Amino acid sequence: MTGAAAKPPVLQLDGIVCGYDGLDVLKGISLTVHAGEFITVVGPNGHGKSTLLKTISGLVPLRGGQISIDGRRLSGKPHETAMLGVAHVPQGDMLFAQMSVLENLLMGGYLAPDKAEITRRLDEVYALLPKLADRRNQIASSLSGGERRMVGIGRGLMMGGRILLIDEPSLGLAPLIIDQVYDVISQLSKAGRTILLVEENPARVEDLADRLHLLDDGAIVWSGKPAELMARDELLATYLGG
Amino acid sequence: MTDVLMAILVAGFTSGALYALATVGLSLVWGSMGMLNMAHAAMLTLGGYVAFTVITSLGLPVAIGFAGAIVAGALAGAILYFAIVRNLLQNDKSTFEANVMIATVGIGIALENAILLTYGGQPLKQPVSIAGALRLGPLTLPWQNLLIIAVVVVMMVVVSAALGRTRMGRAIRATAQNRDAAQLMGVAVNRVYLQVLMLSGALAGICGVMVSSMTQLSPPLGNDPMLKAFIMCVVAGLGNLPGAIAAALGLALLESFVQYALGARWGFPSLLFVVIAVLIWRPSGLFGHAEIRRM
Repeated sequence: MTGAAAKPPVLQLDGIVCGYDGLDVLKGISLTVHAGEFITVVGPNGHGKSTLLKTISGLVPLRGGQISIDGRRLSGKPHETAMLGVAHVPQGDMLFAQMSVLENLLMGGYLAPDKAEITRRLDEVYALLPKLADRRNQIASSLSGGERRMVGIGRGLMMGGRILLIDEPSLGLAPLIIDQVYDVISQLSKAGRTILLVEENPARVEDLADRLHLLDDGAIVWSGKPAELMARDELLATYLGG
Repeated sequence: MTDVLMAILVAGFTSGALYALATVGLSLVWGSMGMLNMAHAAMLTLGGYVAFTVITSLGLPVAIGFAGAIVAGALAGAILYFAIVRNLLQNDKSTFEANVMIATVGIGIALENAILLTYGGQPLKQPVSIAGALRLGPLTLPWQNLLIIAVVVVMMVVVSAALGRTRMGRAIRATAQNRDAAQLMGVAVNRVYLQVLMLSGALAGICGVMVSSMTQLSPPLGNDPMLKAFIMCVVAGLGNLPGAIAAALGLALLESFVQYALGARWGFPSLLFVVIAVLIWRPSGLFGHAEIRRM
């Protein structure tokens, strides 16, 4: 992303600390995402990747540090965070199981200012994910895993947010479906969307991400270009099992 | 024989309509908040007494009495939210269901006793009644029963439209299905809970007017419909609104037939028998279903 770093940051994390019960899961994370950037946080399972996104969107309360969107400090309330333009595509999709595909997408447009804007976003989502148009009246719980993932992404796009947080989009999917999901994410990135994605496998984002952050035990232990990480066998072996 | 059958059907549909109204309010709150509102009965009674006061004491038209019952029920729901539910939600979520049930038992008892202190224990006649009957050949359909069925049908259509076609309704259903995901979409779930309790309270209020128009006003007026509504919620599957309506109509018809065939005292036991059987054979209710997930 040429020159992206020169722009003011969309998302800024300053030393965030959070966790569950008495345990700190994230131990002072700082990172910045500029407009149009594709940033990926990679790391092994159980080291805080999903917690990081949940903390940004307000589902996990902050214990220390601060999070800002376009320079405005977040309140920590999820619905207010969504209002500021954070669109979170959570792990496991978290669809509204008894609603149709269309209703799930319309829930993504819950904060849209008017019907015309909802229609515009819906057209955009159907153009990117035409299968959703065919499935619009199908109940979400009857969709396949790949279709559910696409609805989750489509619902995130319907939010029309400033930044898209995507949590492990490859999780639990067949390789062919993973390729399709990443093809969609690649198109979004090329269209200029600002994306913060977490992923266990750095190879998936090698050609997509502008920067990678390696997360281990709740702390960022390395940052750089994807190609630099892929060339560091000792890092891959130590933190990602080779 | 046709006359008897029609009488049973009319009585069954009338009771079913009333049960459906009580059941939907209860089921809506359970389905979206995981909250068993034990004060629902008292809110129903409150609606009946407010309509009585507006019509009899203030001398205002019946329509204003209905509106008063709706507003009083909705206000009671709002007060319940601000005084109890909002505070309990801030505590440990895992204890919410038990705590709110106990708290609303207390609220219900307090409200029922406040009504007893205000109006006394003697039964009062609800002035919302229409004498006479519609005669269609051999059929006699009392206007009062038709009024109740018509009011309930209108309320069901309004609630269905509100839940199915409005932004607020979609937010309520989304919150019921996945609270965290709804918040991520920008839904302020606390506001949704307030709306649900107000809607449920409004339904309870109008239900109180209808029930008391068939019987009499007394402080424990809401207890019987609430108990039966709870049975119908369990039979349908807690939180399942269309199922709750179907269960209410089906069980009310069953109750009417059993009362005719075996005597009035067997009506309620027959409902208990059904709920026990359902809990044994289909613990998630007749209309409850497992979520389908394919990978």
